[in-house]
Amino acid sequence: MATASETTLVRAHNESATKWWTRFLDPSERTLAVLLLLPTALLLSLIIVYPVCRLVWTSFQNLSLTSGAPATFAGIENYALMLEDPVFWETTWNTVLITLITVPGALLVGMALALMANLPFKRKWPVRLSLLIPWALPLAFAGLIFAWFFHSEYGVVNDVLRRLGFEGVIWFNSAKWAFAAICLTIIWKTSSFMALIILAGLQTIPRSLYEAAEVDGAGRLRQFFEITLPLLKPSIVVALIFRTITALQTFDIPFTMTRGGPGTSTATLAMYIHQNTVDFLDLGYGSALAVVMFALSMGVTAVYLRMIRAKG
Amino acid sequence: MSHETTTNRSLLSGKPLRILIGFILVVNGMFPALWILFTSLKTEAELTAKPITWLPHAPTMANYLRAFTDQPLLLFLFNSFMVAILSTALTLFISVLAAYALARLQIRGRDLILSAIIAVSTFPLVTLLVPLFEIMRALGLLNTWIALILPYTVLSLPVCTLILVSFFEGIPRDLENSAMIDGCTRLGALFKVVVPLAAPGVFTAGILAFVNSWDEFLLALSFNSNPMLRTLPVGITLYQGEFAFPWPVISAALVVGIVPVAVLIVIFQERVVSGLTSGGIKG
Repeated sequence: MATASETTLVRAHNESATKWWTRFLDPSERTLAVLLLLPTALLLSLIIVYPVCRLVWTSFQNLSLTSGAPATFAGIENYALMLEDPVFWETTWNTVLITLITVPGALLVGMALALMANLPFKRKWPVRLSLLIPWALPLAFAGLIFAWFFHSEYGVVNDVLRRLGFEGVIWFNSAKWAFAAICLTIIWKTSSFMALIILAGLQTIPRSLYEAAEVDGAGRLRQFFEITLPLLKPSIVVALIFRTITALQTFDIPFTMTRGGPGTSTATLAMYIHQNTVDFLDLGYGSALAVVMFALSMGVTAVYLRMIRAKG
Repeated sequence: MSHETTTNRSLLSGKPLRILIGFILVVNGMFPALWILFTSLKTEAELTAKPITWLPHAPTMANYLRAFTDQPLLLFLFNSFMVAILSTALTLFISVLAAYALARLQIRGRDLILSAIIAVSTFPLVTLLVPLFEIMRALGLLNTWIALILPYTVLSLPVCTLILVSFFEGIPRDLENSAMIDGCTRLGALFKVVVPLAAPGVFTAGILAFVNSWDEFLLALSFNSNPMLRTLPVGITLYQGEFAFPWPVISAALVVGIVPVAVLIVIFQERVVSGLTSGGIKG
């Protein structure tokens, strides 16, 4: 049987080899591999590789589109300017703070959601949908919806606070409260994705491990720390890397909720890059800022990778 | 069997508590979307009444009418749809080719290419705002769909490729070989045999790509400043009211923007979950 089909294959191949256009349509494996990977390579070169080179180059240039003057070499001028720019420090600090608050926050809330969602519910779909909807909702929509939640007069948050006997808060007039509202929104928006990843990890842990632990008399808390958490580590680490890198790029939610205000107290580095590039058309300075963000996220990736390897 | 687990696993699996926990999960996930739906159905008078009402007293569609007439919401929807669909199609086409090569062909440096693709998925696209802005400007592509379609394709390419590689690897080679014996070329076999068999994978990848594009905000805001070319998130965010931010109209517009993705998610929920948790991770 096998030989029969092999001969057919050989015959079919010989026949097709006689026509040049068939050979063009049916190239050797190596040529085919190159051809198939070519679109990916071209696209990544145009959208990632070339822009990265260009980014680093432009960050050493004086290039402002408003003046119309041609680009001139600026050396480290943009970077020196940055170090003395209080708005740079403020937006960078805000970005780091948002990362430090919302990444662990989303992890904790996501873990709680996943543990709850892992209970043996009779109907799975309402729980699944409740985790998927926040993930699928555009960040900008989440920002707008929560801005309405936190509206000082007609928002549901202040309504609940007042019903509970507290004073309503004018969320977006104070840097602190606005920042808190933004962080809460980001945690809500990102925790359900964390939960989905952790839930998938939970479902791969064999039940027999828990049964054995129960036989040995280990309580629920001990089971969680000695079985669940160690076995979840790989999925948690991967989710954390991605969450941290997206947190460093935070833009949509603060932009839609406060536009960075009051003042620049809730503006992020991404918002400052956007402002310098699109509003001020100062591409040199915008590039230098972007290089800093790039370095930050490369640093995060490196630290996490080292952590994975160290604890392996 | 379920009785046994209930007694074994103590209080936490008790039925009343389980219902309560399910309720908490559903409220956490659905409340914001539901609240904006309620808001959109209220009259302006009801919205500014104090204390605020929760359920709309006299539901009205007036806000929806205004959402479509005050601003070109239909155009925003159209832009979002076209950009998302075209970038999804492009992503799928490119990643099907790449994934087939990575799953089936002998390639030197296959692992290196795969790690490069994973590295791209962690790449902070925001940092490329400046050079991409320059490139699109130089190519005269600012204020076109293409300015968004190309970066969005890169945004979803890694996830889609990884999902498709794992699906293609699961398809028996015999099926492909017999198609080639029947006179199909290798590429013919890819599109006539492998892709149809991996349809669930292609679909999953497609949904993820669509949602990624539908949700993107920063590049859409930066590259397409012309109001006629705004996508939905940008269009709604930059809605200008005559006086204050027009919440009644905004809420209706938000509902309009949530519905398409919600429908996708409701229909294909299991597929989306498997795609998110297996092949690719990006949030």
